[in-house]
Amino acid sequence: MLVSCCYEIPIFLSKKKNFKTYIALFNSELFTLTYGALVTQLCKDYENDEEVNKQLDKMGYNIGVRLIEDFLARSSVGRCHDFRETADVIAKVAFKMYLGVTPSVTNWSPAGDEFSLILESNPLVDFVELPDNHSNLVYSSLLCGVLRGALEMVQMAVDVRFAQDTLRGDSVTEIRMKFIKRIEENLPAGDE
Amino acid sequence: MTILFPSLAKRDSVTNRGHSNSELFTLTYGALVTQLCKDYENDEEVNKQLDKMGYNIGVRLIEDFLARSSVGRCHDFRETADVIAKVAFKMYLGITPSVTNWSPAGDEFSLILESNPLVDFVELPDNHSNLVYSSLLCGVLRGALEMVQMAVDVRFAQDTLRGDNVTEIRMKFIKRIEENLPAGDE
Repeated sequence: MLVSCCYEIPIFLSKKKNFKTYIALFNSELFTLTYGALVTQLCKDYENDEEVNKQLDKMGYNIGVRLIEDFLARSSVGRCHDFRETADVIAKVAFKMYLGVTPSVTNWSPAGDEFSLILESNPLVDFVELPDNHSNLVYSSLLCGVLRGALEMVQMAVDVRFAQDTLRGDSVTEIRMKFIKRIEENLPAGDE
Repeated sequence: MTILFPSLAKRDSVTNRGHSNSELFTLTYGALVTQLCKDYENDEEVNKQLDKMGYNIGVRLIEDFLARSSVGRCHDFRETADVIAKVAFKMYLGITPSVTNWSPAGDEFSLILESNPLVDFVELPDNHSNLVYSSLLCGVLRGALEMVQMAVDVRFAQDTLRGDNVTEIRMKFIKRIEENLPAGDE
């Protein structure tokens, strides 16, 4: 199947944002299972794990560029002054808010432009096992895209990848985030 | 179609992670519906797939629900309705629909949802006027109740996305299921 470079925007998401004042708090199991249905559907649609990883990342990007607005509205977090502050906000505020977990921030590079988020637990993978024929699947790839898309909307180009993954046999899940560059404000924000 | 990844097998414990905001879930659900609209030719097919996915989710979700809620066996359909509205919806979607419009026989009722996290900021494009966007929920309810020996029919009678004032889910009791029938994935 020929995969287009330009992923369509989630067509159902309206551009208008009238913020609701209530905050819905809920248990994550329905989300976990819905995410599993999404990954399953992509595995039917695409021929190999690398393609599925790529699609999940793109979907995550499109989610992230919208989610950041919700995050900024709910969290009242001001502009971060440096990448260390960004890391703390991601770990202690954003992850907590949307996934109910607080990863630890570790393994800073000497230049201070790269760090790891260590997740003791990850709601997306509760009760998930990778079948043998999907050993290259990075199941939670959506999260990489979400972080990348969200940070792009606050003028940060970052690279995000899973360095360790409990689903693939590692003892923890480690997301590695690297600052690439600051984005000029007048560039158009794109959907991928 | 089975769900490959959340496995039926490993439910030793319940993870108590606390609660989280639903926006990421809303957007992920939107990505799922979008993907299905790419994959299937018409809205009715997408509705059907969402319902099937929901069914497969429901047959797993019920275990989590029973573990977390400590709800005992319901004695009748009215009690079931209350548990669905006040405990289950609250637990997984953070909302409490009202239970109304009981049939005279007591075998059918409506859940009226003032709000639905799945449809936050969602608009249906004109070319998807037959899409029942939240069809996943019908399947979830149907699958979950089947696991507690109730065959039900679940459908959206009203949908704010399609111009109605409220969202109304209509649930009808069909029959009690014998316990020794195998539970299937669809």
